Amino acid sequence: MRIAERTEWNLLATPLVAFLLLCLGFPALVNLVYSVSEISFETLRSPTLSGFGNFAAVLQDSAFWRANWFSLRFGLLTALLECVLGLFLAIFLAPLFKERSWPLAILMLPLMVAPALVGLMYRLVLHEFAGPVPYYLWQWFGNSPSFLGINSAFWTLVAVETLQWTPFAFLLFHMAYHAIPEEVREAAAIDGANAFQRLTRIELPLMTPILGVALLIRFIDGFRVFDNVYVLTGSGAGGSTASLSIYIYEAFFKQGAIGKAVAASVLLFLASFAILYGLNMIARRRRK
Amino acid sequence: MKTISRTAARLLGCVFAGGLMLSSAQAEVTVLGWPGGPEETALRAVAEAYNARPDVSDENKVELLFFNRDGFWDKLQADLAAGSDAFDINLLATYSIGRYAPFMEPVTLSDEAKDLYGEAVLSTMQFEGQQYGVPTDLSLHFMYYRKDLIDELMGDDAAKARYAEIAQEHLGKALEPKNPDEWTWDDFAATALYFTQAVNPDSPTRYGTVLQLKNLLFNIMVWQSIPRSYGGDWMDAEGKITVNSDAYRKGLELYKLLYDAGATPRDSLSYEFPEANAAFAAGQVAAMLQWNAAAADLTSADKSPAVAEVTGTVAPPAGPEGRKTHIHGLGLGLNKNAANKEGAKAFLTWLSTKEAALIYARNGGAPALSAEAVKEIASERPDLVQLGEYAGSYGYVMNGGASANALAVYELQAKEFTGYWSGQQDIDTALANTEKGMTELLK
Repeated sequence: MRIAERTEWNLLATPLVAFLLLCLGFPALVNLVYSVSEISFETLRSPTLSGFGNFAAVLQDSAFWRANWFSLRFGLLTALLECVLGLFLAIFLAPLFKERSWPLAILMLPLMVAPALVGLMYRLVLHEFAGPVPYYLWQWFGNSPSFLGINSAFWTLVAVETLQWTPFAFLLFHMAYHAIPEEVREAAAIDGANAFQRLTRIELPLMTPILGVALLIRFIDGFRVFDNVYVLTGSGAGGSTASLSIYIYEAFFKQGAIGKAVAASVLLFLASFAILYGLNMIARRRRK
Repeated sequence: MKTISRTAARLLGCVFAGGLMLSSAQAEVTVLGWPGGPEETALRAVAEAYNARPDVSDENKVELLFFNRDGFWDKLQADLAAGSDAFDINLLATYSIGRYAPFMEPVTLSDEAKDLYGEAVLSTMQFEGQQYGVPTDLSLHFMYYRKDLIDELMGDDAAKARYAEIAQEHLGKALEPKNPDEWTWDDFAATALYFTQAVNPDSPTRYGTVLQLKNLLFNIMVWQSIPRSYGGDWMDAEGKITVNSDAYRKGLELYKLLYDAGATPRDSLSYEFPEANAAFAAGQVAAMLQWNAAAADLTSADKSPAVAEVTGTVAPPAGPEGRKTHIHGLGLGLNKNAANKEGAKAFLTWLSTKEAALIYARNGGAPALSAEAVKEIASERPDLVQLGEYAGSYGYVMNGGASANALAVYELQAKEFTGYWSGQQDIDTALANTEKGMTELLK
C-alpha cells in the first residue's frame, strides 16, 4: 500500500516538478550565470565569466538605490492606503452588501483593467488640454495644479495605484468580515459591547491574519510596480519615478547592460527570499 | 475502429497540409514592418505592387508581418539576438542601426539609389561604412508656429515694445519680433516668453511654447538641434566626448529658462509627441519644435480645427552655425538568419528603385527624395519637397549617432538633462555625468 501511494505521489508530482524546473529553474540558472558574466546581446549564447563585477556595478550605482527607495516608499504607502481604504469600505458598506451584493461588481471593475491601460487612461485624463480633470479645474478655479511635475508625480502615481487596487483589499476584507460568525457578535452584544467595542475587540482581531496577508500582497505588487508608472511618467525626470522593475528593464533593453540588469534582479530575488523567509519564520514561531 | 481510423487519417491530412502551408510560408519573403500609421499603409502598397510584378515567382512574394509599436525595438532586439528566422527583412532606424547590425547583413541597392536619395539620406542607413538598409522614411523637425499671432505681433507697435521689454528682462537684450523663417534661438525664446500668460498676462495663448521634457530619448533628438546650431557635437574626430561645452550649456539653459518662466505647460516633464501636439492643437501655444510627422494632423481641419488654418511650418531657428535639424531614417534591412535570403535581397534591391520609392511616397510614406525625384510627386505630396530640402540643407547626424550604443547615449542624456531641467541637479553635474557616461559608452 505504501509503495503504491509513493508511486502515485511520484506520478502526480513529476509534471509539477518538471514544470517548475523548466519554467523557473532554467531561467534562474541562466540568470545566475549571466549575473557573473560579461554579456551582451551578441554574446547571449557564449557569456564570458567575469566574477562579481556586475554586482559591484549595481551596488555602486546611485540610480539602483534611488529605484529601491522609490519602490519601497511606493509599495509601503500604496499597501497601507489600499488596506485602510479597503477595510473602511468593507466595514462601512457591510450592511449594504448584506442586503444586496450586486454593487460589489461595480466596485470590482477597476481590477478588470490592465495596469498599462490605467496608466494610459490617466495620461489622458490628467492632460492639461485634453483631460477632463484639468479642464474643469481651469473652468471653476482659473488654474490647475501640475499632476505630473517633479514634486507631484510620485503622489499622483500613488493615487492612481491606490484607486485601482483598493477594490482588491476591499474584497479580501469583505470576505473576512462576513466570515465572522454572527453568534460571536451577538454574544458580545449581549455582554454589553457597543458597536465600536465589537469592531476593535472582536472583528478586527479576527480579521488580523487577512489584514497581514492583504498588506503583504499589496506591498509586493506595489514594490514591483511597472506598467502604469512606465506609461504615465516613464522613469521620470532625472530617473525620479524609476521603480526597481523599471531600473532593471531600462538597464537591460535601453542601455544594453544585460549583466548589470540581471545582477540587479538576482539581488532583488535574494532580498525578496530573505524577507519572505523571515516572515515565514515569524509566523511559524507565533503558531507555536 | 473505423471511426478511429478516420480520425487518424484526418489528423494525418491536417498535419500534411499544415506542413505544406508552413513550407510555402517559409519560401515567401517575410517583412517585419513598422506597425500602424502611414508607414504601414505605404509598405502594404509597395508589397502589393512588388507581388504583382510578373518576374516575381510565388516563392518570392512578399508577406508582411506587424506587431505592436509599444516596445517594438526591444522585441526586435530580443528576436534578432535569439537568431529568429520568423522574418527575412526587418525594420531598422538610424539610432539603432549599430545595435542591430551584428544580426544583419549589408544590402545591395539599385543603381538608381544614389541619385534617388543622395548621400546624406543613404548614410542614415549605414554602419561602419556599409549599407544595412533601404531608407524608407525620414524624420526631422519643423518649427510649427501660429501665423495669425505672429502677424498680429508684427503689425502692432505697442506689442513690439512689450516684446522688446520682455526680451530685455529675460534674455538681457531688447529684441524685435521677426518672421519665424529668420528666427535665431533667442528670437524663439523671446516669442515663447511674450506669448506666455505667466510672463505677459495679455498673451492670447496660455503658453508661448510646449517643450517635450519627458525622460525619453526621442525628446533629446528634438532638443539637440539647439546645441548643434551652436556647434555642438557628441565627440570630435579623435573620439573625445565634447558635450561638456558652451553649445550644450546654451541649449540646456535655454530650455531651463523657458520651463522656469512657465512658458511651457507645467506638466511638460511628462510630455512627449502626442501631449505636445494636443497642447498646440488646443490653440494655447504660439510655437513649438516638433517632428515633421505632426504636420498632417496639425494642418488638418478635422483633427485640429482650432489651429489648422493658421499653422505655419519653417525649419528650426538658427544658431551661430546656422539652422540645424536632427534627421534619422527608418528603413528595411536583411536579417542574417533569413530563411529566404535571395528573395529578400531581390525585394530590397527593387525597393531602392525610383518606381518603388514613388509608390511608397504616393501611399503616405515619407521618403526623403532628391530634388529631381521629388518633382514627380510634388503636386500630390508638397510636404516631401520641404522634407527633402530641409534634410539636404540642415540635416545632421551627431558623430557617434549611429554607433552600437547610440540609444544608450540618448537614454543617458535624457536622464541627466531632465534631471537638470527639473531642478534636481545643476548644469555642471548634468554635463559632467553625461560626459563620463558617454566616454564609457562610446569608447
